[in-house]
Amino acid sequence: MSSLLTKRLARSLLKRKLMLFAVVSMIAVGLFAGISFGTYANSVHNLYDNIYADEEDGVNLADIWVENTASTWDGDTADSLCSDIAQNWTDSEIPLISCEPRVVLDGLMFHIEQGEERLVPAVWHGIDEGQIDKVWMPDHDCCSGRLAAADDEIVLDEHAASGMDIVVGDTVSIGAGHGSMNFTVVGIGYHPYHLYYAFEGSILPAESGTFVTGYLSDSGIERLTNLSAGSANLLLLDVQGTPEYDLQSTEQNEGESLSQAISNVRQTVMEGDGASFIAYDRSGISSVEFLRADAEGASMTYPIITGMIAMVAGITIFLSLQRLIQSQAREIAILRTLGVPRSAILPGFILAPLAIGLAGSSIGIILGVAFGGPAMVAMYEDIIGIPAIGFSTEPSLILQNLGIAMTVVLIAGLKPAYEASSIQPLDILRGQNEVRISSRGIQRLTSRLPTTVGLTVRSSVRKPMRLIFTFFAVGLSMLIFGTMTMMMDSMEDLVSGANQNWDAQVNVPFGGEGAVIEWAEDNDVIYETMLVFPGNAEGDTRQFLAYGLDIISTADDAMIPIELVDGILPEPGAEIPEVLVDEGTMLFLEWEVGQIQTIMFGPFSLEVEITGVTRGEVTRTIYLHRSDLSGAIGLEATSVLLSLPDDVELDDEIGEMSIGITQRQDMIDSFDSLLEKQQGIYNAILGLGILIAVAVLSITLLMNLSERDSELATLRVLGASMSRIRMMMLGEHFAIGLIGGILSAVFTVVMAQYLISQLVQWAFYFTLQPNFASTLQLILVVVVISVLSTPIGTSRVGKMDLVEKVKDLSQ
Amino acid sequence: MSGPLVSMKGLERHYHMASGTVRALDGIDLEINEGERIILLGPSGSGKTTLLNCISALDSPTGGSYSFDGSPVPTEDSEEMTSFRRDNIGYVFQFFNLLQDLTVLENITLIQELAGGRDEARARQLLDLVGLSEEVDRFPAEISGGQQQRVAIARSLAKKPRLLLGDELTGNLDSTTSAMVMEVLVKACEAEGITCVFVTHDESLVEYSTRVVRLDSGKIVSDDPIG
Repeated sequence: MSSLLTKRLARSLLKRKLMLFAVVSMIAVGLFAGISFGTYANSVHNLYDNIYADEEDGVNLADIWVENTASTWDGDTADSLCSDIAQNWTDSEIPLISCEPRVVLDGLMFHIEQGEERLVPAVWHGIDEGQIDKVWMPDHDCCSGRLAAADDEIVLDEHAASGMDIVVGDTVSIGAGHGSMNFTVVGIGYHPYHLYYAFEGSILPAESGTFVTGYLSDSGIERLTNLSAGSANLLLLDVQGTPEYDLQSTEQNEGESLSQAISNVRQTVMEGDGASFIAYDRSGISSVEFLRADAEGASMTYPIITGMIAMVAGITIFLSLQRLIQSQAREIAILRTLGVPRSAILPGFILAPLAIGLAGSSIGIILGVAFGGPAMVAMYEDIIGIPAIGFSTEPSLILQNLGIAMTVVLIAGLKPAYEASSIQPLDILRGQNEVRISSRGIQRLTSRLPTTVGLTVRSSVRKPMRLIFTFFAVGLSMLIFGTMTMMMDSMEDLVSGANQNWDAQVNVPFGGEGAVIEWAEDNDVIYETMLVFPGNAEGDTRQFLAYGLDIISTADDAMIPIELVDGILPEPGAEIPEVLVDEGTMLFLEWEVGQIQTIMFGPFSLEVEITGVTRGEVTRTIYLHRSDLSGAIGLEATSVLLSLPDDVELDDEIGEMSIGITQRQDMIDSFDSLLEKQQGIYNAILGLGILIAVAVLSITLLMNLSERDSELATLRVLGASMSRIRMMMLGEHFAIGLIGGILSAVFTVVMAQYLISQLVQWAFYFTLQPNFASTLQLILVVVVISVLSTPIGTSRVGKMDLVEKVKDLSQ
Repeated sequence: MSGPLVSMKGLERHYHMASGTVRALDGIDLEINEGERIILLGPSGSGKTTLLNCISALDSPTGGSYSFDGSPVPTEDSEEMTSFRRDNIGYVFQFFNLLQDLTVLENITLIQELAGGRDEARARQLLDLVGLSEEVDRFPAEISGGQQQRVAIARSLAKKPRLLLGDELTGNLDSTTSAMVMEVLVKACEAEGITCVFVTHDESLVEYSTRVVRLDSGKIVSDDPIG
């Protein structure tokens, strides 16, 4: 290989600064995204593993939970159940280490904010031995103080403390359905059930100050709740090590041993106590499951996003090198005529993309390690609200991304390199390389149009393969932010509760709904009682929530309007209770409308007939009439939904009779807050997609233009005015933009739906519903990018030296 | 019209290079009357193409005067120069430069559209005149070089130019095809009453002209009528 030839190629490349910049940027963006997302994925994975580990610094997450869903066990019963479970434990592979009773109850904090009292929904934990599901207080600025010991001490969760400006030493007023009491804050930390800080049943992180959790001593919770010593509504079982468990996101059961152990525990508890209870593994703890799903989602999406950008970069490199060869064709032909062998041409064209790849990769790696990774992790910390202790960008991640990028670059450069070395000098020097027969079909289609329009259309589709590549690359770049836009649009309706018509959901202790109803009637408040209870399909460990509603309606003004996508609404009092099932549950359990299925509510089973399918539930849900659910589990209500008139506000009275009040406005605010936090990354992804689309489209359009130099020069010499040329180019770019935009939008919708369908799982399911506005936005973005490149083309034609061109045309 | 179609007096086109001034045209006095067919002959670098470019208003003279049909030809504003070409000049290139995505017929109607009005009947008539009425729906790549040059001639006549210019228009054709193309061109120009100026190295084409102008070093060295 001649170094002079390589030097010549390098100089030619350096002359094309814009193209070089576009390609290097594309590779840099690919690496940047890969390293940023990879760092994020690895960090959340490590964090998940470290926090929940059975180690000194971890929280020693329980392996089996037994939850009393109807009441509390007294101390003797709780101890007896633990003892029975230990005695009946048969599995030697996963020996039981300990069983710890605990109380976890909903409640309220009476928080004074700017002189006004605010009722903040809360969850209070009474922690006895504290060897399992420990409060996590890492050595970090986030946390301070110690665990609660006395009966008037409390450790507040960091999410709540920072949001409410509470520090160690402050006094807080809290309640759990039995008035309010003061507690002194002795520590600030995290709890494994609330690392992902959200209302019960919500997938949205709660906005600061709208939700609080606190960790009391066992005597503290007994004082707060009027319970006898040793009472518990939760048994935490810890086995040796961290056994495999049944992942909700897969079909198979990865934790058969643990499932068997849970089944045995269930049998033991059923024999030892008649109370309604459920037993589950860590997939039943929403915060744990959400963080796992997030880590799994990050691991799944990171290669997809990186792969997509790598593919776009590959296409851009491919197109750019073709453009380079096109512009170098005459020089290569001359070199070949002068006797330079193919073997001397080829290496330069292979080395060029590798050099470009290396330059882009270096920039991408530096930016990714220095800014991208830390920014992604910072965003995670901001949204989830926990410190990502010990995060780092691992060298293996960098090498992996570099390897992918260089492979893509090499593959993308091979064909152009081969084309360059295969150039036939005579074809080029005679101009025969540009001569080919146009498509007869396109000619027929456009023959009735004015010739200038026909020429515009035909020029647009002159290189169909290149155009398809371009549209594919533009589609991929649009997919990156199109998915985000559509997902945000779809999520907004689903999770913000914007379409619901209640103002407050007042959770009541069992039998406590009467007092709330009385309060509602006294204040002319419209209300409906609701019974929410966890259940699972017979033979399946995954939990859903059964909503027993007074009125099941699709009307817009219903308290909870149902979006019925198949079947009919259930009738109350049917011999076999009728239910609606959300489409996610239907999908995962492979149920069908009209089937009769058995649902387990703790130890109780209920046969139900599925009459319809609903859409819009992110978490797994079934609806049935409250009377039907009540008949099955023996409870009347768990909450009362209130629609408050303008002049009525929630007061202390209702606060003290409830065990938690969720205000719909708080949920909406939480969603807005989440959106705000994600705005930066959202805009970055949006910009990234547009930048990539700009680069790809510009390169293609510039290639189209450069191929038409002689054509446009001919038109100019023959008297075509610049305004006419402008109109033709505008038409061409508009046509390419429109076709590309429509194809990109279709591609984005289809691919985004596919991607979402691959990412959804039991704990988090939704379908992407593209709306007209976001689809139109996608099309417009591509059209605008395409049309905006017209001035580049017209300026190129305007600057054309017609005298020189005529020489070219005539010689 | 009483005066010449083209009138040039002391026309100069000088290029200022690092190595000095190149006098591509150095005081050209030339008048062309309507209906003439002029051939510009001369060695390489004699200024033939530069003169053709100045006549067509592709290039701007650096000195002297140039009027067309009694009016000065624009030399500064590129759009006015384009407009002048569109209204008055037809151009035939050595390599035909037909648009590959358009059929033979469409290559002609395109020029009509650019000039302001599509007239398919006239386009077909011109193709008939150059002997290509059977090839109207073919793409340029589907016909021979000689046929392509005849399409280029028909294209240049499509907007009824006052003056038709050709730069080595047979340079890419064999002698038999060259003769056929020139015969077609003469026939078409006579039929349409169009004045022609051709640049060539080929002395054999003199027989198709009414006047031969020879250039050397940017000056006219002879100007002889034929026949």
